[in-house]
Amino acid sequence: TPIGHQFSPYDSNGGSILAIAGPDFCVVAGDTRQSTGYSIQTRYKPKVFRLNDVATLATNGFSADAEALVDKVKQRLVFYRHNHGTHMSLNAIARMISTMLYGKRFFPYYVYNILGGVDEEGKGAVYSFDPVGSYERETCRAAGAAQSLLQPFLDNQIMYKNQQPTPGRPIPAPGTYDVATVLRITMDSFTSATERHIEVGDGLEMFIVRTAPAA
Amino acid sequence: MSIMEYNGGSVVAMKGKNCVAIATDTRLGSQALTVACNFDKVFPVTEKTYIGLAGLGSDVATLKSKFRYRMKIYEMKEERTMEPETFAHLVSSTLYERRFGPYFVEPVIAGISSSGDPFIAGADLIGCLNFAKDVVVAGTASDKLYGMAEGLWEPDMDEDQLFECISQSLLGALERDALSGWGAIVRVITPTKVIERTLKARMD
Repeated sequence: TPIGHQFSPYDSNGGSILAIAGPDFCVVAGDTRQSTGYSIQTRYKPKVFRLNDVATLATNGFSADAEALVDKVKQRLVFYRHNHGTHMSLNAIARMISTMLYGKRFFPYYVYNILGGVDEEGKGAVYSFDPVGSYERETCRAAGAAQSLLQPFLDNQIMYKNQQPTPGRPIPAPGTYDVATVLRITMDSFTSATERHIEVGDGLEMFIVRTAPAA
Repeated sequence: MSIMEYNGGSVVAMKGKNCVAIATDTRLGSQALTVACNFDKVFPVTEKTYIGLAGLGSDVATLKSKFRYRMKIYEMKEERTMEPETFAHLVSSTLYERRFGPYFVEPVIAGISSSGDPFIAGADLIGCLNFAKDVVVAGTASDKLYGMAEGLWEPDMDEDQLFECISQSLLGALERDALSGWGAIVRVITPTKVIERTLKARMD
């Protein structure tokens, strides 16, 4: 009997990422477990990367593609600095990542990206992408294995969905929390996801992108 | 397409201090098409025990009748009402009876025992029981419900806190599930009364 062999260029490496925008900061977080199937490859593999003073990129999906993409994004940021003498703004990085992803439209980077940072007005910003470059600016976004566990919780705790004001407890506008509160919600989200999802756990790495305090 | 997702719908149950709650959405669909928005998936089996059935709509209706029949027979023979834990085992054996041609449902049981203890349990479609001490979820929004409940639930909530917790958990999960929603009903069961409330939910 003939035996068929087929090479698959993709894998799924588990994990989850999340980003939440505040008034003048952004929290970008990801767990540090990397797995394939039921096997843990490592308990510490960072998937959130500092790009410059205003931008941090969280990646999730196929880690080889993620690494290749992040390397190329960083390389483009160096070229930009050499050509223009300034760092690239967050909205420009977002558009660049979109075109880089779409450049591989017919052999995609199997990666979900969340770009977190501060915009040119100094406000916290989150940009989320699909693997072929469709993107959107949001207040908060979760992606990866535990996306379906994390996102409804963020809808409730960050966007105040299904909540109504009562006397003595007004509903604040989404995206007005302070850093400490956002970090607490981020940690609670990941401990919950770790309880109920086997691909999430081991470590949590959180980046805070902030505007420089006025001199 | 899995037959478990053909009609859509979700159920969740939670334990509190001297109370339990069980909640469901009211959608009945045919894949992407919503057919009805009054399909309550939670049924009383005794005065203080309720069963929620998420899954294939026809099997939900069949099992609802089957459990009603078996409860009546039990009550006549035994001259007493059934304990919720006993009922959980009845559900389990009823489902395992059809091991190789199962009913496509995930049952959720919530009740207060005769000694006043809160009780919840879940099962898979062939009757594997899950006696959780906190939360039980089922249906097409089950992963979203796990995320919400794991974040919002805490031990020893009173009936008002439990109502808020289960309502926010269900509503939050429904908004991120295309196959569940179109209304929601919450029942909070205490040793003395059952509080039934219809939630104002998004109708999309």
